[in-house]
Formats: sequence, C-alpha cells, structure tokens
Amino acid sequence: MIAKKLGVFSAVGLVLVLLLAWAGPALAAEAKVVNVWHTETNAASRKAIDNIIKRFEAKHPGIKVKAEALAWGDLEGKIMASMAAGSPPELSHGQPITCAALQAKGVLLPLDEVVAAIGENNLWDQIKKVGKFGKHYYGLVHAAGTSLLIYRKDLAQKKGLKNPKTWNDLLKAAKALTMDTNGDGKIDIYGVTIPGDNLFINILMGELIAANGGKLFDEKNRPQFTKTQMIQALNFLKELTKYMPPGWEGHGYRETFANMYGGKAAMMFQGYGRGASLIEQYAPKGWASTDYYDVWIKPHGPSGAKPAAQVDEETWMLFKGSKHPKEAIEFLKFFYKDPEYLEYIQSVPIHFFPITKSLRKNPAYLNTPMVKRWKGWLDVQQYYLEKDLAKPTLIIEWSDMNNKPYLMEILGSGILKDMVMEVTKEGVPAEKAAAKAQKRAEELLKMKGYLK
Amino acid sequence: MKISERTAGYSLVLPGVFLICALLVYPVLYGVYLSFFSKHSFFPEQKFIGLTNYLYLLQDSDFWMSLWYGTVYSVSTIVLQVALGVAAALILSQTFRGRNFVRGIVLFPYIIPTVVAIILWKWLLNNQFGFINYVLFALGIVGEPVNWMGKDHIMSSLVLISVWEFFPFVVLSVLARLQTIPPVLYEAAKVDGAGQLRRFFHVTLPQLRNVLFVVILLRGIWMFTKFDTVWLLTQGGGAEKYIRTLPVYAYMRTFMYYQAGLGSALAVIMFGVLVAATAVYFNLFRRGDE
Repeated sequence: MIAKKLGVFSAVGLVLVLLLAWAGPALAAEAKVVNVWHTETNAASRKAIDNIIKRFEAKHPGIKVKAEALAWGDLEGKIMASMAAGSPPELSHGQPITCAALQAKGVLLPLDEVVAAIGENNLWDQIKKVGKFGKHYYGLVHAAGTSLLIYRKDLAQKKGLKNPKTWNDLLKAAKALTMDTNGDGKIDIYGVTIPGDNLFINILMGELIAANGGKLFDEKNRPQFTKTQMIQALNFLKELTKYMPPGWEGHGYRETFANMYGGKAAMMFQGYGRGASLIEQYAPKGWASTDYYDVWIKPHGPSGAKPAAQVDEETWMLFKGSKHPKEAIEFLKFFYKDPEYLEYIQSVPIHFFPITKSLRKNPAYLNTPMVKRWKGWLDVQQYYLEKDLAKPTLIIEWSDMNNKPYLMEILGSGILKDMVMEVTKEGVPAEKAAAKAQKRAEELLKMKGYLK
Repeated sequence: MKISERTAGYSLVLPGVFLICALLVYPVLYGVYLSFFSKHSFFPEQKFIGLTNYLYLLQDSDFWMSLWYGTVYSVSTIVLQVALGVAAALILSQTFRGRNFVRGIVLFPYIIPTVVAIILWKWLLNNQFGFINYVLFALGIVGEPVNWMGKDHIMSSLVLISVWEFFPFVVLSVLARLQTIPPVLYEAAKVDGAGQLRRFFHVTLPQLRNVLFVVILLRGIWMFTKFDTVWLLTQGGGAEKYIRTLPVYAYMRTFMYYQAGLGSALAVIMFGVLVAATAVYFNLFRRGDE
C-alpha cells in the first residue's frame, strides 16, 4: 500500500517537474526584458532611472526593463564585446563618435519613432545634428552638458579680470590667479586646472583646434597635426601648464574638481555643470554660489575667431540583433515624456541640459532650486548650443560625424594625449611631438584602410 | 565486455587532453594565427597580411618603450619582492610572541582583490589629500606633496604597490623551505665559529637556492605579464603613458585601437621574450650548479 502511494506521489511529482520545466521558460518569456546600459553611475541619476522604470513597468505589465550603470571607460568595450557575442543590449548610451562608428557598421536601428513622439521641432538643432545620419536618427542624446570654463569670481574680481577673449588673455588671467596667499614663498592657489587623463585630453584638443580655426583631419582623412593651428594649441598648453598644480598630468576629472572646490585652483578649463553639485557638497560654507564660482565663455586661439566647447552628450543607441527593440522604443518614448524626463534631468540639473526646448521652458524645470542658483552656468551652455559652438568629442565640423568613423580609435589610441605629454612634460618641441603624432595617426588610419 | 588496459587508460586521459586542447592549446594557436591578420577586434573583417604586424612592431617606438617599461617594472619588482620576502620570511621563522598573528597579517596584501588594493593605494598616494603625503609632510621629509601619480613618480608608485601586493608569495614559499632546513647545519656552522651573517650566506641561502629559483621564475613571468595592477592604477587619472607596459599596450591595441591582429602579435612577442628569458635563466642556474 505504502509503496503504491509512494509510486503515485512520485508520478505526480515527476509530472509537476516536467510541467514546470516546460512552462517555466514560457512563463518567463511572457515578460519581455529590455536591457539598458547607461553611463550615469551617480546615485541620484540611478534612482531617477529606477523610478522611471518602475512607472513604465506599471504601465506596461508585459515589459521588464533591466538598467545597468557603467563607467565611461568600460562602456565601449562592453558594447563591442556584446555585439561580437551576438547578444547586444536593447539600448545603450554611447559617445556620439561611437554612435557614428556603429551606425557606419550598420549595427544600429533607427530611433525615428522616438523623435516623432518628442516632436522633432522640440529638439535643439545641435541635438539633431548629433544623432541624425542621412534621413534617420540612429542616436538620441539623453542630455547635453557642455564643457565650461569655471572660475573663482571672487578672486578674479579682486584682480580686476574680465572674461578672457583669447588664449593670450587666458594665460594672463592664469598668471594673475596663481598666488602665494600667505607669503611663505610657496604657491597656494594655481591659476588653472585640467584633467590629465586620456578622454579629457582628447576633449581638450578637439576644443582647442576648433577654437583655433583648425581641423584634426582633412576630407581625405589625413591628420592635420603638423599644421599651425595644432602647433599653436600645443605651445599654448605648454604655457598654461606653468600655472597648473604640480602633478596635473596624474589628476583625473574628479581631482580637478577637488582642486576647484578645495581652493587649490582658480580656474577649471574642462569644467562641467556636474561641478555645481560637487561645489554645493564640498566647497567651504557660504561659497556654493555664482558669487564664488562662475563661468566664463571660453577664449579662442590666435588663428581662430570664435570659442568652442565640447558637449558631453551620450546618445541612446538601439541595437540590431537585440531581442526586444519595439519595447525599447516604447521605453524611450516614456523616458522623454516631460514628468519622467524632468525627474532624470533634476538628478544632475546643471550638467543635464534638457534636449527638449519644452522642458527648458517648463516652469517645473525653471523652478528647480539648483537651476535657479546656477542659472548663469545654464545660460552659457545654452549660448554654446544655440550658437553651434559646442560639438561632441573630437568633432570639429558636423560632417565629421558622418565622414570620420575612426575617431573612436583615435581617442582610444592615446595619440593626442601622448603628444600633449611630450610637449608639456618632456620638453619636446611642439613641432617634433606633432610630427610624431601625425606619423602614428597616419599609420593607424592606413592600417584601418581610411587613408591611402 | 572487457576493455583493454590501454583503452581504459586512453579513455581516462581523453577528457583531460580535450580540456587542455580546448582551453590552452586552441586559444594560444588561435592567437598566433590572428597575429598574421589585419583584424578588427569585434567585427568579422580580416585580411591575411603575413608578418606585417611583426615588422610594424619592430619599427614602432611605442612597442620598444612598452618593452622597456615592462622590463623596468618586472625586474625592479622581482628584486624588491625577493629581498623583502626573504627578509620577512627570516623574521617570521623566528620564535616570538604573536608570530602566528603576524604571519596571517603578512599574507593580507596577497589575498585582497587587486581592485580593492589599487583603490586603497590611490587614496593613500593622492597628492591632494593622501595619507602618505600627509605623513611625509608632517615628518618634515618633504616640503611639498609628492605627485605619486605624475610622470616622475608613477613608476615608483606602481613598483611600491606591486611589491606590497605580491611579496607575501615569496614569504610563503621561503618560509615553508626555512622550516625544513635541518637545525644541525646551523649548529655545525656555529661550532665552526660562523656569525649570523655567515650562517645566512653559507647555510640559509644555499638551502633556499632551489625555492628561490622557482619563485623568481614564476614571479618573473607573472610580473612581466601583469595587467590588472598596472591598468587599474591609471583608471580615472594617472600618467598612464609612463607605465604603459607590454600587456597594457597589447590590451590597448586590441580593445582601444580595435586591432586584434596587432594585439595578438604583441602577445606572441611577449610569449617569445618570456621563453627566451626563461631559457637564459635555466642556463644560468644550471651553470651555477656545475
């Protein structure tokens, strides 16, 4: 009897196990998973994204969004590896030059539906230029934050300094702001700080060349590193480093901010709106305002006529070969709806300049306390965007987005950074360092088949 | 059915052989194969170019600089690891109160994950708020903070961190051997009037010879191919150009220039350098034996 019961139980158990094995994946498959990789690793932005996802999932019960925050440096490699493995995420952030390179390889899907939902006229022209290739949008900026020349307004006023118009003016300002404040013969405040890591040196060189009326590559893809504009930029940097804190070449992005809010430097050439949050957190009490930390419009070089800034504006990219692209589009449409997008923008309000004109005018946005406190910083960013002075990393002319899909490799190679280090740290003449960089870049482009 | 002893033997060995072939032989051979191609790291574009990658590297100043940095890094870290490791092992082989606790502590750097160690060291060495500069300044050793991550000191910082991280391996190996040296040898040396220094050079060191041979060989290979410590040190700031060792350069070529062929050629060269250095090392050791 017992044996018979045991047999029945076993049979029922077996049937249940088989049923679960068969139905389990089917049940799991009901929820379509949209994988989202983004570069906003800070807690506030992650929380905002999580909240947006929760609300999206509540409205779309069949869709599950899995967001993963990745460091900048890890992103490109991870995207490439995922594509090589045949399992890309549905959506990912990527530098505009990455987007351009991947679009050229034909591995992205258009985001036209999302743009249509936002309203194309509602986007800043600059934003359209970043993600539009031919007639389609293959990238859509999540938020734009231009680089800023942040300065200590209190010190500049004491020294009677005004917004430097040219690089020469900036050098004079940097010299004037390099100070021994207690008379012990040691410098206590340095004139300017810049990060020494590869990404920021590339950003800087792109900006300097644009502000000096030059190009990085000509229409035949030949590097233009030995041209006057580059030599002038290198010599300018060499001069500027005289007023930088020692060891600047080892400073990362965060450390340059620490130089600013810690009172070690009076100007930050590669500053961003994110700095406002850091200043509010870490600057001495009472200093967290534009009375102490304001922004100047960047100066131009001797061969240029107008300033140039870089825009930190990773684009959303939708991957071919991902499992649920339609659902990913739905998520992005939801993400850019004003209430959702506002929450995201407010997570780093001064750095995340909204891509939609409607949100920029939205009273809820304008009444954000930080937006009110750091209005001047946002106005300068809008000035760069409206005047078409701000472009993505290493993009000098908008046509570069379509015609130069190798900029990602140029950035990764560190050729520009090595050139800058040779001039500023090793005492190599600008012409010689530029010639070496030119040769390296030419070799790389020849190997890749972009240069004959 | 009776299986012959030979068949049974082959059947038992076969899974192991398969695993070795799949996980070791195939990747190595594929790496060598790739080095003859111009190949994008992630896209299926590839073109056979024969020895071009190797010829290019021979003329590439960055390759020679990386080889130089890699050699400086591996030689200096090995010398310091062995010196510090042997010294520490000699102390830890003595009897004193709390010895077991100290032995445990000494192993600590070796067991914590590299990424944690690097974050810790970057914080300690920071030239704005780092503890080490604070101490050096407070003791009057330096008048200005040292830029540990800058051009002039980043290699020293890397060597310091690597020695700290890996010397416990030397301690462990040497300590194990020290415990097996027969005490009678020391007693005989004492009877012959040998002082501490002579006992070390004439008894301890010869006894450690074989273990040091293996330790130096292994550490040499590991330091020459060390990637994580070097790479992590310059993430988010740090004068990377001045510690761009061969493994880092191979990584850059593969994952930042997207040139898998050149990256593979660099890996093959690294392998060749190690094989040559190992052969010379074996030869020197054998000659010493004779």
